[in-house]
Amino acid sequence: MRNTPPLPPVKARRYTTVCQFCVVGCGYKVYKWPQGRDGGPKAANNAFGLDFTRPQPPMAGEWIAPNMHTQVVDRDGSRHNVVIVPDRACVVNKGLSSVRGAGLAQTLYSPERATRARLTQPLLDQGDGQKPVGWDEASDLGARVLKAIIDRWGPDAVGMKFFDHGGGGGGFENNWAVGRFFFTGVGTRTASIHNRPAYNSEVHAAGDAGLVPLTNSYLDAQLADTILVVGANPYETQTNYFLEHMVPNLNGTSMGLKQATFDGEPVDRGRMIIVDPRRTMTVATAETAAGRDRVLHLQIEPGTDIALLNAIGRLVLEYRWHDVAFMRERTEWQTFEAFQRSTLAVDRPLEQMLEDAVRVTGVTREQIETAARWIAEPKAPGIRRRTLLHYEKGLIWGLKNYQNIAAIVGLGLLTGNVGKPGTGISRLGGHQEAYVRPPYPGRRPALNVDEAVRRGEVKAFWVGGCNPVLTTLRAEALEQSLVERGEPVRRALAATRGRPAGQRIPAIVDALKAGGMFLIAQDIYPTATTRHAHLVLSAAQWGEMNLTSINGERRLRLYERFMDPPGEAIPDWAIMARFAHRLRELYLQDRNPLAANRFLDFDWKSDEDVFIDARYQFKGTNTDPMEGYAGITYDLLRKLGTDGIQTPTRLVNRIPVGTVRMHEDGHFYTSTGKARFIPAPRPWPGYAAKVESQRKRYRFWINNGRVNHLWQTLYHHRYLPFYQGRYPMPCLEMHPEDATELGIGPGDRVEISNDMGKVEAMAYPSDAVKRGHTFLLFGQPRGAAGNLVPDHVDPKTTIPSYKQAWADVKRLGPPPEDVKGVSFRPRNVAS
Amino acid sequence: MSNESKRTRHALNRRDFLKVSSGCMAGVAGVPMLSVSSPALGATPTSAYPVMEVARLSELKPGTTIPFAYPGPSSPALLMRLPEAARDGVGKDSTIVAFSILCTHKGCPVSYKAEQGMLICPCHWSTFDPAKGGDLIIGQASSSLPRIELRIEGDKVQAVGVEGLIYGHHTNIL
Repeated sequence: MRNTPPLPPVKARRYTTVCQFCVVGCGYKVYKWPQGRDGGPKAANNAFGLDFTRPQPPMAGEWIAPNMHTQVVDRDGSRHNVVIVPDRACVVNKGLSSVRGAGLAQTLYSPERATRARLTQPLLDQGDGQKPVGWDEASDLGARVLKAIIDRWGPDAVGMKFFDHGGGGGGFENNWAVGRFFFTGVGTRTASIHNRPAYNSEVHAAGDAGLVPLTNSYLDAQLADTILVVGANPYETQTNYFLEHMVPNLNGTSMGLKQATFDGEPVDRGRMIIVDPRRTMTVATAETAAGRDRVLHLQIEPGTDIALLNAIGRLVLEYRWHDVAFMRERTEWQTFEAFQRSTLAVDRPLEQMLEDAVRVTGVTREQIETAARWIAEPKAPGIRRRTLLHYEKGLIWGLKNYQNIAAIVGLGLLTGNVGKPGTGISRLGGHQEAYVRPPYPGRRPALNVDEAVRRGEVKAFWVGGCNPVLTTLRAEALEQSLVERGEPVRRALAATRGRPAGQRIPAIVDALKAGGMFLIAQDIYPTATTRHAHLVLSAAQWGEMNLTSINGERRLRLYERFMDPPGEAIPDWAIMARFAHRLRELYLQDRNPLAANRFLDFDWKSDEDVFIDARYQFKGTNTDPMEGYAGITYDLLRKLGTDGIQTPTRLVNRIPVGTVRMHEDGHFYTSTGKARFIPAPRPWPGYAAKVESQRKRYRFWINNGRVNHLWQTLYHHRYLPFYQGRYPMPCLEMHPEDATELGIGPGDRVEISNDMGKVEAMAYPSDAVKRGHTFLLFGQPRGAAGNLVPDHVDPKTTIPSYKQAWADVKRLGPPPEDVKGVSFRPRNVAS
Repeated sequence: MSNESKRTRHALNRRDFLKVSSGCMAGVAGVPMLSVSSPALGATPTSAYPVMEVARLSELKPGTTIPFAYPGPSSPALLMRLPEAARDGVGKDSTIVAFSILCTHKGCPVSYKAEQGMLICPCHWSTFDPAKGGDLIIGQASSSLPRIELRIEGDKVQAVGVEGLIYGHHTNIL
């Protein structure tokens, strides 16, 4: 990073891209030009056409922040400057960068910076550490091992844990190739998605109700009367959706838009209800933007969202604020009757139900009343309030995944808040989406792959673009399995070193029979997981291939390739194709055309070949799921730039037309076409036994999640000083009085431990959390929050309760050297 | 010219300060410079930063803040005497620091909140810690606030350079 980034010359090559990080998917512009041919400050001499002899003005100006520039070297040895700046023309971010997006240039591979840590070629561990091998050798050995396992134990003995997302982690192209390989090729059911132990939706209940996970457009956040945010912290983790779309509603900037959209309907500045056990920066900034009287922060006790949502629903029903017309027309009425009886407990006295909710949640009766009023009280006689209901991991990974999601979907259907401007029932989302795969061959609830690994049922485990050693539940136990079960295979590889691959297989199979497991890890960096792998496969990243993804409002864009992958790294789809080709050859040699044909049609020559191949599963009708992209080509996406088109697309006179808002036509994805309420046995299910035993045994609730600066497991950010320096180790927010009682000061090294494992962190005393609550940064390489999470999953969905861990905390010592420079000022002050 | 009058000329009152920072900051001609030094230590090596008196040490009580512009009229900055020792602070107790007040996100002027000990941007709420080199506490900026390098010469507190790129500039000295 230079203190003074150069200006791109007029002739700089220009590319369109989208941030690789969070679900919001902000548009960015990339400029690339040979070193030594910089532009000049006069408007005629730079690619922006702006006069840099004068300072650029605040807000409206174009400024290349130091982290927006870097230098790269392509495979032909040519050296280039690259500048990546937010795109003013993009409807999503309108020129705003987030702290993460502003550092995109720093994530690029450079042999001269810390990103030189990238995996640049396949590696094989034959007992003496991971050493480079060629792609032919890697795919030959790997394919032979997989074939031997499939032939002997069946396809389910091949386990996988892979990205399923968009943005930097995947894209339609890589997801399609991975799905084709494992589901129609290998045919395994032992599959799991990057952040969890099974292959499942995180919102099965929404799907069963007939809703897609992302129903609304970001525009709806500017139009809503009330925005409900449950278990999410959008200032930090959906940043520019919050800043560019929610804040203008809260501060009144979008009033003109509201008046123009809702002619004759009373409109006012928006209100926000935030359900979060922490007083986050989202709460602080929303209060500053809207005024305290228009923000309701419901600081619930852990996992009690469901009791709160159902109490609000019950009040809505009592006050007759429910949307009878919507429910009669667009929902299966009998499911509503079941829902009101069981979930909303209409046969119990209202006061009794509310008293229970107040006791369980820690929220006052008055706050519950206010929430119900803000969500559903008509604005004027006959004019319904428009409420946008959003939720994310606090709810998804909370108490009971299925019932949690059913509760918020139920509240949304009860109040008719879907398929209309200013409404929606949607995930806020974490990463971007690009879920295009053949159907998963297994059933619901999906098999728990982590347990299958531990039990020895998995003979080969292929981990791609994720790092379960840091992120899965009961993570220490999983890592122990990788170590113990990897060792026999490593010995077999050492004993057969130098022999032709085919002759090594009997020894490897013997090792697998003796409890061994062959670990393949595919990634862009070495990680806590790849270090245990026998075979490491080096993948290309964002910017090194063309990829496509959708954001939180289903906006599909092309993220253009603008540089070469390092060394011999290749796109994930090309890795899958290599293995498929080799498996096909091996099965043909075996005179087994049936098995060989499972690996047909991997003959893609380009990124777009894969994109178009995947597209053919969509019809371009209104039965396509939300990712459907009938009629879309790279050429069209290039023309549409960072605005792209909102999926699903349908073909009208052979022209693709996008979908601004889902369910606006009244159609829901059920057999009747109507939405369904999902009844729960009771309004509040209580804690699961494993969770309850931890809760009673340990003093602190260990809430955990992401922070503003950092993306996921820090796979990039651990190498970038500006980001790594802010959180050199996981931070543990704890109430100042709790910290004082334990003799813990800011930055002190602390140990968090329970019956699952332990984590070291730096203490961050903060009034963001209540006494007895804490918040731990998840996924930091120096401390895996997953080590503390019990292995409980919702039996209906196999989704873990990552947010439901309890542990003790003790001081280990003063701040480590690299923590001494860290600021411990409050992270939730906005005025 | 007395040192006091120099201070007054360079230090902006709050109204001027906002005027400078919220408008297009170019075109304020004739910023007075005491002298032009050779490149200041730690500053961009190819640039020559002026040496400019910002305050009298004897007048800087704890909690004092002084707005000024540095290295040019389009670059509003703030000198602070903090209640605690600061990274790269000057003075006997290392409590004196100064920063560009143009947020390194979108250039809005940050303001100092003494109670919280932080600088906060009103546009998108990036917050910075003046005791930790202007580091971002939380928010959307992608670099620390540029730190005005200070030195003490007798009773004079002088600005002598800038560490970091000031918002809107492609070089700190245009």
